[in-house]
Amino acid sequence: MKTLLFKPFEKYSEQKLLITGVLGTIIGTLLTYILKCKFIGVLKMTFVDEISIIKSFLDSVIIVCCLTLFLFLAAKYIYKKTRLIDIITTALIAYIPLYILPIFNINDTIKIATENILKYSSPELANQMPLEDLAPLGIFSLFTILILIWFVALLYNGFKTASNAKGTKTIVIFGIALVIADITSRYLIFHLN
Amino acid sequence: MLYQITNLLHQMKKLPVNCPSCESPLVVSQLSCSECETIISGSYSLPVLLQLSKEDQYFIFEFILTSGSLKKMAAKMEKSYPTVRNKLDDILDKINALKTN
Repeated sequence: MKTLLFKPFEKYSEQKLLITGVLGTIIGTLLTYILKCKFIGVLKMTFVDEISIIKSFLDSVIIVCCLTLFLFLAAKYIYKKTRLIDIITTALIAYIPLYILPIFNINDTIKIATENILKYSSPELANQMPLEDLAPLGIFSLFTILILIWFVALLYNGFKTASNAKGTKTIVIFGIALVIADITSRYLIFHLN
Repeated sequence: MLYQITNLLHQMKKLPVNCPSCESPLVVSQLSCSECETIISGSYSLPVLLQLSKEDQYFIFEFILTSGSLKKMAAKMEKSYPTVRNKLDDILDKINALKTN
């Protein structure tokens, strides 16, 4: 179970991982479209009033491409024999947990709660914040942190397997690649989509 | 036949390669014939492959049995291709380190 959830890249063939990754991305992107969520970067999601299905898919493509490109460059720097397919499957599979987050926005729950909380953002009104809006936001924040940890763990394990990475230096290179992928994807999504 | 050889390798006793007292590499100092009881004494260093762990020796053995195909190895071991390739690279590093020493 631990292998399946955190280290599938050590066990399963690239064909199985690719099929699962593509299917997961399609289903996840449909969820973001139906539940009106938008990934505006690798590590950032927001809730919107309207979004087209084409834009939802374009967001996913940009994110997977940015992750693949920068992780592949980092992996090639560490280990010359790294294969592109192993990095593509890593990016696709690792991003699947993040598609769970839009489920919290069924009936616009999180979007409405956020808007209500923002009404009490001034210091004088802060102690009057309604609990029924704070509770869903608190649960959502907690799950977001857990899912982000899961995403990074999956991404790093995939990267490590693909590039035979060892030691602290490779963790730093991985971190830099992830940050650059996030910044680039935010820029591209903002300007192209 | 191949299964039998692999099984035999698994059942073999672990050959000590380092001195339990000072950790220095051990050498073969005596060989004997089980038929006529002839004994040869000397100082023969262990081949590099024998100095590897049992698990690494098993991996190399399987690698030869699959004609050096990492894809077949991955399927046989129920591991992914990069995992098997990484294992082979780690063994190569160990062999190079042993050869240098």
